[in-house]
Amino acid sequence: MDQTEEELLSRTLEVALARGGDWAEVFVERRRSSGVRLEDGRIEDVVAGRDSGAGVRVIVGDRASYAYTNVLTQEGLAAAAEAARAGLDGDGSPVAALVKDIPEITHPVEIDPATAGLGTVIEGLVAADAIAREAGPEVRQVVASFTDVNQQIVIANSDGTFVTDDRTRVRFAAHVVAERDGTISTGFDAPGHTGGLELLTRFPPGEIAARAASKAIAMLDARPCPAGGFPVVLAPGTGGVLIHEACGHGLEADTLVKDASVYSNRQGERFGSEIVTIVDDATDIGAWGSFGVDDEGVPAQRTVLFDRGILVGHMSDRRSAAKIGHPPTGNGRRQSYAHLPIVRMTNTYLLSGPDDPAEIIRSVVKGVYAGTFAGGEVNPATGNFVFGMSEAYWIENGQIAYPIKGGTLIGNGPEVLGAIDAVASDFGRKEGVCGKDGQHAPVTNGMATVLLRQMTVGGTET
Amino acid sequence: MSRSLEEMAQDIVARASGTEQIEAWLSHSRDIEVKVYEGAVESLSSAEPMGAGIRILDRGKAGFAFTTDLTPAGLDEAVLIAREATEFVTPDEWTVLAPPWVSEPDDIEGLHSDRFDSVTPDDKVKFAIELERAAAGLDPRVRTVEEAGYSDSWTEVALASSTGIAGRYVRTDAWCHVVAIATEGDDTEVAFDFALGRDLRSLDLAEVASSAVSKAVGVLGARKIPSGRMPIVLDPYTAGQFLGVIGSALTGEAVQKGRSLFAGKLGREVAASGITLIDDGRALDAPGSAPWDAEGVPTKATTVIDGGVLSSYLYDLRSAARDDVGSTGNASRAGFKSGPHPAPTNMYLRPTGESKAEILERAGDAFLVQNFHGVHSGANAITGDFSVGATGRLIRGGVEDAPVKEVTIAAPMLDILSRIAAVGDDLRWLPFGGSFGGATFLIEEMTVAGS
Repeated sequence: MDQTEEELLSRTLEVALARGGDWAEVFVERRRSSGVRLEDGRIEDVVAGRDSGAGVRVIVGDRASYAYTNVLTQEGLAAAAEAARAGLDGDGSPVAALVKDIPEITHPVEIDPATAGLGTVIEGLVAADAIAREAGPEVRQVVASFTDVNQQIVIANSDGTFVTDDRTRVRFAAHVVAERDGTISTGFDAPGHTGGLELLTRFPPGEIAARAASKAIAMLDARPCPAGGFPVVLAPGTGGVLIHEACGHGLEADTLVKDASVYSNRQGERFGSEIVTIVDDATDIGAWGSFGVDDEGVPAQRTVLFDRGILVGHMSDRRSAAKIGHPPTGNGRRQSYAHLPIVRMTNTYLLSGPDDPAEIIRSVVKGVYAGTFAGGEVNPATGNFVFGMSEAYWIENGQIAYPIKGGTLIGNGPEVLGAIDAVASDFGRKEGVCGKDGQHAPVTNGMATVLLRQMTVGGTET
Repeated sequence: MSRSLEEMAQDIVARASGTEQIEAWLSHSRDIEVKVYEGAVESLSSAEPMGAGIRILDRGKAGFAFTTDLTPAGLDEAVLIAREATEFVTPDEWTVLAPPWVSEPDDIEGLHSDRFDSVTPDDKVKFAIELERAAAGLDPRVRTVEEAGYSDSWTEVALASSTGIAGRYVRTDAWCHVVAIATEGDDTEVAFDFALGRDLRSLDLAEVASSAVSKAVGVLGARKIPSGRMPIVLDPYTAGQFLGVIGSALTGEAVQKGRSLFAGKLGREVAASGITLIDDGRALDAPGSAPWDAEGVPTKATTVIDGGVLSSYLYDLRSAARDDVGSTGNASRAGFKSGPHPAPTNMYLRPTGESKAEILERAGDAFLVQNFHGVHSGANAITGDFSVGATGRLIRGGVEDAPVKEVTIAAPMLDILSRIAAVGDDLRWLPFGGSFGGATFLIEEMTVAGS
């Protein structure tokens, strides 16, 4: 679209607002992706594809109309613009001149997957398989996979915003199944980043797979998880999912404005002690949930949600920001051109504290060390959550005593913030995919080792 | 669209060169989705997406590519990408394309609604607004209806292959859902419910609204119950979720790859003797039905567990060849961007002849589970572990009593299957991660961890 791109987008916006409307936007996406999966020691799937399309959004009052097309010609875009303005029959609204902008923040790609070929990737997967199987005779299955996505985005709106972003994300995943005497357990690890194949140097697939294998083997000896109220130590990185689910979702402005969040109308209130500072940071260079601009063209930002225990912030997209009278925080994200943007987290971090992780474990007489969460569920209106622990250990007299299985953490977002008694300095990130309203988005959860004073642990041993 | 989907599928197949075989799967749909909030449209989306998934087989190696660019140049590029992909795949003797049809597979009755096109966009908006209004007005404790929405799609699918398969089918789907938030005192509860059908007129708006509201209001004031062992009743929603968890472990592929709790159990007792589990790719009014599967194999009904005994796994062509059996027509795709993989179609337990009321009466004193929390984390179809949060109601003397929340129920999945004592006649399809038919299930005894 190069030379005429600006004209094409202007023209589309004009069509979108030709019968009235408050605001219009065009979102063009060209996506290239590939994936390789090894299982059973064999390269089972190699998948690659191109997915391109454009979505046109017209806002009238509180109403958003949206239409998208896979046909990126003037006719295709005009048809989408006409579909998006359906039902309007007023006079045309103005479209500001587009002024091209490029994001201030960029995330470097050292080895571009598009040009590097699949050789290194396949070597990595094969190494992961071999090294994981060396971890012990208990290893029954290794699934190693690699995916890369490049998204080239163009966003233009009737206020004159005209910005592009180029995002490359790659992720490697190792999933190991171990078995002994009929008992089966699994281990999983999946680092990813916004960048290129250099991920495989930073996180060598063999090391990642070996870690997943040793988790799976360790959990074969797991005893039933005790049920009751105990102190809980959260492992660095993975524990961040608790913050994401139980605090983050409740601070997304779409939920706040519908009075559907436990944090609604509670800005300025204290939820945790001085050691609790939580940010959502799309500017973290190379992090999995980062970008240059969000999917509405708003520059990536670092937003403080809790400042030393006090609720001071929220996350918003353009629409929810307008409703609450704040500038948008750059959290408008969409799965693809086929989706309306909604408020999403990016990289959500509990900032590190001064404590020594080993000291934190030593301070627990009887409690749970939560190594890996398998995911969870939260009710944003109440903050209540349940998280399964796929890797956990029982702590006895300050020592990690033995692995436990079948345990869940049951609690409440505000309660967790209030229960944070110590935060260590060993910050770690964990990459994941967050689902909301049927849309998926890459997100990072980050935290150091954390001590929660008391939590309800659901288990099978009463 | 100047050319038909079938023509484009044939065009792709014609690009095969040398020893290659090509399979082309294309879809084209017209989608609309409306969400309302406080009596007005919040968003209205419409689209007509299409795309092609192309599989190339050459000397035992299969590569896959997809594209949304259906111009001749776009298809050329996709074929090239799929061809390159074959280079990296480990060859095997099991990967084959479906054999040609002896006769065209029978249509599924009612897969598309003839009155689908007679529903106007205005009707759809009105429906969603009415759904929200119904949910908001049912009970004064409903604080807000966080979400109410309607969506539908008309979809055509075409498949063609070098083996001579050429087919097309059309389906229509309609869906509505509502999320209600109820508050009383300090207690707030959120509940969701949905309906699905072939067109707007097949959705029971009042039923969806009242179900979501009664779920939200019904849990207000819920408490933990003391830990212990007791009979568990799953409602159709949670029963469907449970089937969804075990369903993924019942494919031949999951077994072959060491990802199934059912490995090595063929011909053995895996459930109570009254239990028959069926996967039916042709079930009427079920979301997972189609005349042929994602590889073009005609669909059928397969009895997976027969009177408690594991009688068959579910197969696509490749996993079937590996076990030297026939495909059961269970190849599935998540759309044109994904190649075929085996998965259940519509899976359900055959009713044992009792109604919900009869099951409750038989349960006597029990815990009726209306919501699971953390199924994705607490249920593992590889290890068979099942430990999830639950909310619902106590059953006393066969009658629904006080609401319960914040308890955990846990048992190995095979233990749960071996204790299912009754399956109600209130079948309901859940279209989440497949299509699973839940009904009121009575489970004789499970551990409940509460206070």
